[in-house]
Amino acid sequence: MEPSLAENSEEGCYVALTHEHLRAQDIMDRVRSPQAGAIVMFAGTTRDNFAGKPVKELQYSAYIPLALKTMLSICTDIRARHGLMSIAIIHRLGIVPIGEESILVAVSAPHRQAAWRAGEEALEDCKKHVEVWKREEFQGEEGIWRANRDGLPGQKIAEKDEEG
Amino acid sequence: MGVIPKPPQGQFNVLYFASANSFTSKDYDTLPAPLPIGKLFDELEKKHSGIKDKILSSCLVTVNLNYVDVPNGDSEDASSESSVVIHAGDEVAIIPPVSSG
Repeated sequence: MEPSLAENSEEGCYVALTHEHLRAQDIMDRVRSPQAGAIVMFAGTTRDNFAGKPVKELQYSAYIPLALKTMLSICTDIRARHGLMSIAIIHRLGIVPIGEESILVAVSAPHRQAAWRAGEEALEDCKKHVEVWKREEFQGEEGIWRANRDGLPGQKIAEKDEEG
Repeated sequence: MGVIPKPPQGQFNVLYFASANSFTSKDYDTLPAPLPIGKLFDELEKKHSGIKDKILSSCLVTVNLNYVDVPNGDSEDASSESSVVIHAGDEVAIIPPVSSG
């Protein structure tokens, strides 16, 4: 069995993957700092449809050591570029019922502008690069592995698909 | 994915995630080393017919948690000196397009 929590950290950066419920308060407390004037937190929740098709449930799996490595590298990069005090990202794995949190991103910064920008950038970088996969189960048909977006850097497109 | 056992001496593991896991119905395969990275997809195709076109063509590959280039197996440079060789005990993984968040 996978461990229920896998985590990694370095100065001002914390990343984790867990099979447990995500708690917004916990991740906010991780980035709290007396030098910060703002904490921005994002919660991604599981949607009940894909392009109008009803989704019964979602299941996430990960290449845990590589996903943690990628998440930590995103955090150190964004923390440095936006002058953050601290940044934390946690992603849930396994079955996530509809409407629950699948990812939390929290950043703290001396001022709100940097915090807003860094939070958005961290989430977008995660969606592009972190080695976590979402399987959507539909009513009465086979589930599919979702791809966030084909054709981004680092994601090779099959030649036959390039024209389409 | 459960815990993957260490490969037997002289071999390496290839891990399958997401669509690669569904296609093979396996968490991993074990292959003999050494193997030039350019030959990897052909070896996997021998074990899982159709995997090259349906799955591997849109996947990336890591060796020991680092992304590596996979030269086209049909071309001359598939086993050239410049490309990576997989060694015994390496952890290779097939990385389908990601979908976190």
